[in-house]
Amino acid sequence: MESYVKVVKVEKVGPLDTLRGLWVTLSNFFRTIFLRNRVTIQYPEEERDYSERFRGVHILTKHEDGTPKCTACFLCATICPADCIHIEAGEHPNNRVEKIPTRFDIDMLRCVFCGYCVDACPEEAIIMSKEYDLATDTREESIFTMEMLLNRADKLGFDNGYRPHFGPLGGGGTRGKMEEAGITGTTRKK
Amino acid sequence: MKTYMVKITIDGKELEVPEGTVIIQAALENDIHIPHYCYHPDLSIDGNCRMCLVEVEGMPKLPIACATPVADGMVVHTKNENVTKAQESVMEFLLINHPIDCPICDQAGECGLQDYYMNHGLHNSRIGLREKVLKRKVIDLGEMIVLDTERCILCSRCIRFFDEVTHTGELQFYKRGDRTEIGTYKDQPIDNSYSGNVVDICPVGALTSKDFRFKQRVWFLKGTKSVCPTCSTGCNIRIDHTKGVVFRLVPRRNPEVNKSWMCDKGRMAYPLINGENRLKYPMIRNGENLEPSPWEEALDRVVKELKKIKEESGPEAIAGIASPQGTNEDLFLFKKWIREGIGTSLMDFRVNDEDKKVREMEDSILRRKDENPNTRGALALDLVPKNGGLDTKGILTAVKEGKIKGLYLQRPIDHFPDKTLLKEALEKAEFVVMHATHNGEGMRAAHVVLPSCTYAEKDGTFTNYEDRVQQIHRAFPPIGESRPDWEIFRDLLVHFGVSLSFPTAQDVFLQLSKEERAFQGMTLKGIGDLGRRISS
Ligand code: SF4
Ligand code: SF4
Ligand code: SF4
Ligand code: SF4
Repeated sequence: MESYVKVVKVEKVGPLDTLRGLWVTLSNFFRTIFLRNRVTIQYPEEERDYSERFRGVHILTKHEDGTPKCTACFLCATICPADCIHIEAGEHPNNRVEKIPTRFDIDMLRCVFCGYCVDACPEEAIIMSKEYDLATDTREESIFTMEMLLNRADKLGFDNGYRPHFGPLGGGGTRGKMEEAGITGTTRKK
Repeated sequence: MKTYMVKITIDGKELEVPEGTVIIQAALENDIHIPHYCYHPDLSIDGNCRMCLVEVEGMPKLPIACATPVADGMVVHTKNENVTKAQESVMEFLLINHPIDCPICDQAGECGLQDYYMNHGLHNSRIGLREKVLKRKVIDLGEMIVLDTERCILCSRCIRFFDEVTHTGELQFYKRGDRTEIGTYKDQPIDNSYSGNVVDICPVGALTSKDFRFKQRVWFLKGTKSVCPTCSTGCNIRIDHTKGVVFRLVPRRNPEVNKSWMCDKGRMAYPLINGENRLKYPMIRNGENLEPSPWEEALDRVVKELKKIKEESGPEAIAGIASPQGTNEDLFLFKKWIREGIGTSLMDFRVNDEDKKVREMEDSILRRKDENPNTRGALALDLVPKNGGLDTKGILTAVKEGKIKGLYLQRPIDHFPDKTLLKEALEKAEFVVMHATHNGEGMRAAHVVLPSCTYAEKDGTFTNYEDRVQQIHRAFPPIGESRPDWEIFRDLLVHFGVSLSFPTAQDVFLQLSKEERAFQGMTLKGIGDLGRRISS
């Protein structure tokens, strides 16, 4: 991106400096009007592309069979500084999986998009997208349910945002990836 | 028999302990923590987990602290390099086949393996995820327990509990070596009335509570010290709650009362506190129905009606029946209210022979037949009729005959054995006031019902079967507009023109310890966490 801002250091203000200031304003005016070289964009027709680490609306990731990767460990709800994640847990029919969320709500009005939940998750079950368009008519609509969070990525086609662990979406999750990479234990040491 | 005291040194601290004590007990009682899994102060010694290794000067190898009795002049080190190394190895050994279940394990947050791994382990695992021995998971063991054999560290605490405390012996180890599994014969359900305790003593997440399963992570819970109100034994408990909802009750160790145990009935009584049908507002009768009303209106009504009866027929036309469900503070102010407010001595608290049952055991472990926490307190406070006065039956008969017109009940008395007399009396009574914690059938005869909060929502003291006064604490504010009984009596007394000032339950206890002979000289500080007995 080219720079629109130039820093001009002025020691002593004289009459010429006023004109110089005016020139900056005018040149930008001409550039925008006649050369169509604008700083602003026409939202919502146009949208900006955000960085790969943008922290937008959460996505709950899924296993290949469509069940959530989340194991309802509550670590995200524990770390969440806004206390906006509400989870209820239930039994998974497969007793090697054992625990699964029956309810997973995020109150987007309270969320501060810090991404701590993503950092805390041991299963890469919650990641962030680049979705930022969150205006709703009622407060209730801003509470995103498990359904919405699970199907967010497919439906709206938003790109993935912040997800510090490696591995593509739908892959083996952090644990599987660690195993693939030959990491078998924790790397923590006193 | 005389016990000799023995002098030992643990980590440079000189201690004097009775002969025969084991090292770990001496250390734990003196705030030196030695990590351990299989040792439990209320069970026999097994010495199988090897976590409590310590160094004793002069001994060639590290002995286990739970099975080594103290000897005079013994010098013990619990934190030097040899010990630390040994503990690290034991931790690694225990974790060889342990599944990485923490995210889905209910024990996480209060797990011995997690805590000791952080304090004494921190090793890198040398076992691949696929190399672990897999065992059976999520085994349903009846009403109370879910078993996960994979998480078990084979400490045998649960086996010893069922062998030594309940003598039912349901659990056993099966198979050998690293295939050893804990379980019941053919996965038969465990069916005894103390089974919930093994969930508490299991140091890991192998035995978890079916009721508490997945409901809440333990680190969200706040613990409040209290006393179980389900029978007159008065087991010490901790109420685990968050945001005004109770999630579980667990026993609190008191060697003199309940050791480390409580019965399943008491443990499972907590839903009553959260209950949907808690009475939240004062209710006033309007024709057939009871209708919610503000406190002031309800109290005014009570005062007006009782004053009217008192003026027309004298104070002897009003009687009060207290409840041993109330704390000593509640009962003390109940007595004051009946005596000094209304001005009668017509009162009793016995509805169904509580005073006779209070010391009778229901089983051979903890439970007693009297289902009230404070029957002995009511007796100590003298809430019984004297020399030929009317008892509950007499009072109800007098109500039926029209001699007594007003009735003040601290709780519904549906459990009165003579149902016909009760029905006739309540129908005949001119004015019945009642405190209640829950909406229920018992309220139908009342003219005014005042919402009273449960033991979890108030401070106070209970006196158990052996006259031990024990403290309960308020876990969270009362639900709805309910109030503790003592507060209601205090406000009524003020309405009746008696001047007193009791801002808190502690102030009531202070006054009680001054006025009541049985409680003379007691202080809440003296009662502490473990209670104090009334000296007879
Ligand atoms: S992004 Fe931060 S505030 Fe939002 S849900 Fe996650 S942890 Fe909570
Ligand atoms: S941290 Fe991850 S696995 Fe745990 S509850 Fe949150 S989303 Fe689910
Ligand atoms: S189930 Fe728990 S208490 Fe029983 S042996 Fe295993 S670890 Fe010990
Ligand atoms: S024995 Fe009695 S006091 Fe103890 S837990 Fe059971 S009901 Fe409560």
